[in-house]
Amino acid sequence: MAFTRINNKMVSAQVLPGQRILSQRGSMLGYTGEVSFQPNLMGGQGGVMSMIGRRVANEDTPLMTVEGHGTVMFGHGGHHVHVVDLVGDTLYVEADRLLAFEGSLQQSTMFMGQQGGLMGVVRGQVTGQGLFTTKLTGHGAVAVMAHGGVIELPIFPGQPVHVDPQAYVAHRGEVTNKLSSALGWRDMVGRGSGEAFQLELSGQGTVYVQASEVKL
Amino acid sequence: MAQFRLQGSKVLAVDLAGDTVKARNGSMVAYTGQMGFKKLSGGGDGLRGMVTRRLTGERMEVMEVKGQGTCYFADKATEINLVRLNGETLFVESDNLLCTEASLRTGTSFTGLNGMASGNGLFTTKVEGQGWAAVTSHGPAVILRVSQGLPLRVDPGAYIAHTGNLHRALKSGAGWSTLIGEGGGEAMQVEFTGEGLVYVQPSERTTLGGEV
Repeated sequence: MAFTRINNKMVSAQVLPGQRILSQRGSMLGYTGEVSFQPNLMGGQGGVMSMIGRRVANEDTPLMTVEGHGTVMFGHGGHHVHVVDLVGDTLYVEADRLLAFEGSLQQSTMFMGQQGGLMGVVRGQVTGQGLFTTKLTGHGAVAVMAHGGVIELPIFPGQPVHVDPQAYVAHRGEVTNKLSSALGWRDMVGRGSGEAFQLELSGQGTVYVQASEVKL
Repeated sequence: MAQFRLQGSKVLAVDLAGDTVKARNGSMVAYTGQMGFKKLSGGGDGLRGMVTRRLTGERMEVMEVKGQGTCYFADKATEINLVRLNGETLFVESDNLLCTEASLRTGTSFTGLNGMASGNGLFTTKVEGQGWAAVTSHGPAVILRVSQGLPLRVDPGAYIAHTGNLHRALKSGAGWSTLIGEGGGEAMQVEFTGEGLVYVQPSERTTLGGEV
């Protein structure tokens, strides 16, 4: 029942009774059939504690639940949409980049500061991503938004991938995420190359990178 | 020898084996392997180039990328065009130059008054030598051939680059109707004559000529 690509900025999804889709509020473009849209006050799944968690973590993008029988089209802000199919693994993505995901996925909020101690805290501040990120686990499809197209770069053990924090979209798999800095005296005197901070992703998995340094 | 290839139409992948490329500051989106980034003051043309660039307004923030592995570059989701130079010269707006091989020399070139009127500035960037250059465009660029006796006129805002032995001149299509505010929005055009290729993007920068 995954998402079907209409063009590179729109996806459509088949909604069947008993199967829910969660999507960013207001991202429905059109639908056929009997479909209802319910604002999701919790901002996702997992009960009241999860809601509070998301509020505190600033990962509480307004979501809505789509239920019924029909076909729904999604798109937002003219951004490119990339569909990721999860088969029991985990996708880490910023909440504001989430366009829609299947209700069969488990959504939770993850504290990123654990990865790398103090540097993890710095990471969130420097990259503008905050200390928390949204985690989706299970079997199902996720539609992620990006400015420009998305390329997938594989990560193998011993071959870390470095990503510009502004161009980072999401990652999946067993990946640790660390801020590496190439700060030198040149940056202090305003002669930096503009690449002072990079996210270093190591382990086994895939990282999604957008063709732009524009954050959503 | 750096290998340039496109990953999709908006991301440039450069395979490096210990050699260097010059790229627009901050345009790296990802890399694998070991990379070092160093800003080159004044567009990497040395002290004289730096002064020229300051004076001409063709200022370019360039960094030198050196290392082993693959480096990915992109600029605000613009389309990327690869240009292979075999000793000829590429003239390009500095805003549209994304990445060049280290074997290529960059400099500034005086375009004269027609550059100023077209809003592209008095100067343009010149790339010469042997190697690859990556040029960005808003939307996929078309490459138009200019040959003897077949001049080409281009909207200054849609022009991004040209190669070959071309002479450029500013042509005005303005008539009395333009003066009373009834212009067609195409008062200025750049005319290319000679032999060469012109890169045109399907989008227009705001230029002086586009206003009238």
